[in-house]
Amino acid sequence: MTEHEVRPALQAAIRRHLGAPGEIRDLIRLTGGATKRTWSFDAVVGDAALPLILQQTPADRLTAASELGGPRVHGAQDAALLDAAARAGVPAPRVRFALDPEDRLGEGTVTDRVAGETLGKKINTDARFAAVRPGLAARCGAILAAVHRIDPAGLPFLATQTAADQLAIYRGIADACDPPMPAVELGLRWVAEHLPAAPRTTVVHGDFRNGNLIVGDDGVRCVLDWELAHLGDPMLDLGWICVKTWRFGGEPPVGGFGHRDDLFRAYERAGGAAVDPAHVRFWEAFGCIKWALMCMHKGAGPLEAGARRSVEAVAIGRRIEEPLLDFLELITGKAS
Amino acid sequence: MPAIQPDATALLDAAIDYLERELLPDLAGYHRFQCRVTVNVLAQVRRELALAPAQADAERTRLVALLGHPGERDALSRELAARIRAGEIALDDPALLDHLRRSLVEALRNNNPKWLPDPADEPGR
Repeated sequence: MTEHEVRPALQAAIRRHLGAPGEIRDLIRLTGGATKRTWSFDAVVGDAALPLILQQTPADRLTAASELGGPRVHGAQDAALLDAAARAGVPAPRVRFALDPEDRLGEGTVTDRVAGETLGKKINTDARFAAVRPGLAARCGAILAAVHRIDPAGLPFLATQTAADQLAIYRGIADACDPPMPAVELGLRWVAEHLPAAPRTTVVHGDFRNGNLIVGDDGVRCVLDWELAHLGDPMLDLGWICVKTWRFGGEPPVGGFGHRDDLFRAYERAGGAAVDPAHVRFWEAFGCIKWALMCMHKGAGPLEAGARRSVEAVAIGRRIEEPLLDFLELITGKAS
Repeated sequence: MPAIQPDATALLDAAIDYLERELLPDLAGYHRFQCRVTVNVLAQVRRELALAPAQADAERTRLVALLGHPGERDALSRELAARIRAGEIALDDPALLDHLRRSLVEALRNNNPKWLPDPADEPGR
């Protein structure tokens, strides 16, 4: 959907859900999101101009969004999950409303817009975050302990995905691409041979990493992008934020801004279970393979009839070797 | 092709130069990001034109040594993938790991040289 299509639909949706006049100001499509689109805008409701975010997957892209990485949380489910997260003490976006079919904007939510930085590289290098950077890894540990405390009782849509279930999902993505890649086959076999026992099953964010956090000069303000949430092994979240891709050029392993010890100790102090670093390392290694397969899917996965790959999609398709090399360094003991 | 024509690399140089120096500074937000990605994609093509032929030869030579019989690169790579998947090669086989590492490093020389962890892997060294 273009800006000219979104604007009138959005104004009608605001008027219906939040109130008149619903005038839309400063509508900007933000970068990122090949299937899911994110728009920033202010909406006039009564006398107030509300700073808001629209996240939408247009109806014609819903199939494309659901085929990667298993079932996705969206729309009204996303709203319920974010509310549950906030109740557990996770800084999550406040949901104003979930889109419904009458809105003609596809699936999605309208949330409050939280000021701050999401770009991983800026968080890792900008002088304005110098004071908060040393505390970010510990803050992430405490937030993850809260994520893993979210009560799943009201969230029946969350699928259970063990490490073996996830392996099957990513095996499927590899099988849908041709030709097979030797390094990917090595990675998938390594994962199959190293599946850990998971003593706990909790709500898992599924995409908790630098780039999905809003950071301000007071630290982490918000955790974004909950669509890969599921019930599973909580150590997945601690491993994923260490995957080198999410370090954005920063040296330290946690998001490029912090150290594993700070993440693990803060997680334990905040009520998370004791952390076994080798267990987290498995998820970091599997995370490399998962990201490689996401890249493969973007660049070479099946396309719907008539669909074309965006320049962003083909560029991501060319990033597949990055996590595969990181994986080799990790399993051969050369990585940091 | 007559030598008087600008070659593929010259076309890419000109296109990259326009996008990067003239268009990009005038763009903001979504289109600025997309333009930057487009420049990166064209730069990948430029590097690939220079590096790919020698890389393909080297990969085929390594695959022949690893699998122990001759063949075309694509068929040999397919065979290696199938043998890894079938569990016919140990995951810690040094020759296998060495081949995979070299293949990834060579691809990164095209796709993203900045990702290479060892400065000795960077092109031009």
